[in-house]
Amino acid sequence: MKKVVSIVLALALLLAAMSFALAEELPTITIMFHGSNVTDDTAVLEAVNAYIADKVGAKLEVVWGTWGDFDDKATNALLSGDTGIDMVFTCSWSADEYNTYAKNGYFVKLDDLIAEYGADLVAAIPESLMQAATIEGAEGMGIYAVNGFKDTATQNTWDVNVTLLNELGYTLDDFKAMSFYDFGELFQKAKALKGDSFYPFLVEPMVLERMVTGSIIVAGDSGSTNLLSLYLNQDDVSAEGPEGNVILNKFATDEYRKFVDKMHEYYEAGYVDPSLAVAETSNDTRTNTQKTGEYLIGTQSYAFGYEYSADVLDRGIEVAFVPCTDPYVDTTASQGAMVAISTASEHPVESFKFLALLNSDPTLMTMLNYGLEGIHYNLNADGLVEFTDERANYSPWTNGMGNVTILPDTAAEGAGFRESFKAYYAGAKAIPALGYVFDNAEVANEMAALGTVAAQYALALDAGALDPETTLPDFLAALDAAGMQTYLDAANAQLAAYLG
Amino acid sequence: MNKPQRQQVVLNSFGPGAQALFHTVLGLFALACIVPFLFVIIISFTSEDSIRQIGYSFMPLSWSTQAYRYVFQLGDALWRSYFNSFLITAVGTVLSVAICILYSYPLYRKDFRYRGFFNFLSFFTMIFGGGLVPTFVVCKTLLGLSDNYAALIVPLLFSPFNVIVMRTFFQTTVPRELIEASTIDGAGEYRTLLQIVLPVVKPGIATIALLNALAFWNEWFLSLLYITKNMDVIPLQYLLMRMQRNADFLAKNSAMLGADAAQAARNLPSQSLKMALVVFIVVPIACAYPFFQRYVVAGLTVGSVKG
Repeated sequence: MKKVVSIVLALALLLAAMSFALAEELPTITIMFHGSNVTDDTAVLEAVNAYIADKVGAKLEVVWGTWGDFDDKATNALLSGDTGIDMVFTCSWSADEYNTYAKNGYFVKLDDLIAEYGADLVAAIPESLMQAATIEGAEGMGIYAVNGFKDTATQNTWDVNVTLLNELGYTLDDFKAMSFYDFGELFQKAKALKGDSFYPFLVEPMVLERMVTGSIIVAGDSGSTNLLSLYLNQDDVSAEGPEGNVILNKFATDEYRKFVDKMHEYYEAGYVDPSLAVAETSNDTRTNTQKTGEYLIGTQSYAFGYEYSADVLDRGIEVAFVPCTDPYVDTTASQGAMVAISTASEHPVESFKFLALLNSDPTLMTMLNYGLEGIHYNLNADGLVEFTDERANYSPWTNGMGNVTILPDTAAEGAGFRESFKAYYAGAKAIPALGYVFDNAEVANEMAALGTVAAQYALALDAGALDPETTLPDFLAALDAAGMQTYLDAANAQLAAYLG
Repeated sequence: MNKPQRQQVVLNSFGPGAQALFHTVLGLFALACIVPFLFVIIISFTSEDSIRQIGYSFMPLSWSTQAYRYVFQLGDALWRSYFNSFLITAVGTVLSVAICILYSYPLYRKDFRYRGFFNFLSFFTMIFGGGLVPTFVVCKTLLGLSDNYAALIVPLLFSPFNVIVMRTFFQTTVPRELIEASTIDGAGEYRTLLQIVLPVVKPGIATIALLNALAFWNEWFLSLLYITKNMDVIPLQYLLMRMQRNADFLAKNSAMLGADAAQAARNLPSQSLKMALVVFIVVPIACAYPFFQRYVVAGLTVGSVKG
């Protein structure tokens, strides 16, 4: 009897196992995003999976990396060859930096997959973005990530409190005719009107430095404090700058000296909040004060349509963004948000099919980015997206996901926004050194030492808190002692080789 | 009989001047320990407007309970992670103390043949670590420590430092004769350990338990490494750390992210909210300390010669 029972049980077990095998689900592909604020993705993923089951032949899972933990999570997953992560966000400024990780063999070369499954993707993304993603990787020249179509050009602007400007008796046109060196009069009047505890000049000191001296970030430079600069031709960003295509120590130029002298004057006159000069409080102070509208002129690295965002609309003042230069396409911006497939992935084909679909299919992109209609957003009478309160539980970082130009317009942005957005960035010109990335591996020690020196001086100098007369020479001497020349020479040699 | 006692009193006391000096120095030291906590509590009750205008201050312009109201509205996520913090600390402390005792007791016993080897085995890991990525591979791929409570407990269960502390504690407080006596009286190894030795080393156990409880309570890095999808198991510390790291990241990369960073910064919690969470984290562990304190003080003095 026992034997019979055991045989029956064994058979039952076998059958159960077989039925599981028969009902074998689609393979699961997992993607890791950056900068998300998502607490409940159940409903969205259910809808997404129903939608992509036939089209992709896989089931999607998402790891919602947040701003703070993405770098650790992504590098761990890639370096450890974690098969549980198929696709991962990458770009020119994240820890899993695109060029380095592609060169070291962590990303799948996509050229063959694009040729086979990528027709829609190629049609949806501008040729220039494909080019920006074409680099020398582990398997030779090719594309190692799907480049997101977002604000692909950099543009720094003055963030002007027009309400206050008018109160002071100026128009926006008056302001546009002024330069950084003429602001003193405005600040003085604003200070007289608003009182001593009002600081009219609300800047990101490092961005201000780039705006005034016309310098741009060199991709691959020390991330905490930039040391190197290329200089823009401010009249035509695609032409060679005043210094030629040469990288300079940004702190050693005459322009820089002139800038910090003026800034120190503004600081001494009480136009700049002292907490902007301290790394720990600088950004908090700026964003918090922006919210209250208690400033006259600020700096803002701009993306088209930023004036329609809640961030600006809630300030309670009229805001205008006055550009310093035309938007320019540089390496940092054109590799600003991409998604790569990990070489450890067991499902690279399904992963690629998914990425191609995500970047070319408005339904899928809208679902994954904005959530579900009726839950996370509703369409108003004009067919524009209006977010509900549920959106707070599902807010991925829009630009980190891919092609944002296929998203529907939101009510805040207005109808036709995406079209203007595309036109705006299609018109952006590329700088001559586009695509150049400084490979700092050979001078990593110098970079670490220089970064430490710069962290001590740069922010406080840029914010005007230090007197350039006494501190700038010390700073430059300390940089030289830390190997600035070696670092510069390495960057310039690579740039010369890149430009041929 | 009285004479030596009086001598002892004289030997162990200071003049009034020195007394005053020591009291002042120690008083200032105690104050330096307490002031940051008071400051945190004050900030957590400060209104956002006040922080915006004058920054952190012991005397804010206006008070507010907004942060605490917001914390209570966080609802499930908060209470869930608060519960997780308690669970992880309780389970982790009990298990790690048990493992620590069971590892260090044989190392104390001279008659254990492989003492040297096991001593070396644990000591070696104090000097040479495997590095982050290999550790990650072993924990995640080999042991399956991913997206579960075990991932937040197992990696911290064994601490070579605690083993050395505990072994030394055994050596200094448990005379070999005690073991011999219990063996002669017919006690087996388990009875010797559980009923004879353990009651003697209670202060040592309390010390280890306190160290471990603190380690588990304050742990957030394991969550960062091993919890990717299942956010139901994260402890409160990680919830707080994540907010802090998000803010730091956006501050550092605002130049690269431009308008995106400014928009993302809107989602960040306010300063007072962060401090309110710190209060939530600090209070339970601060309350637990007095219970251990009795043993910890006893543990510190137990080695000295008693008069």
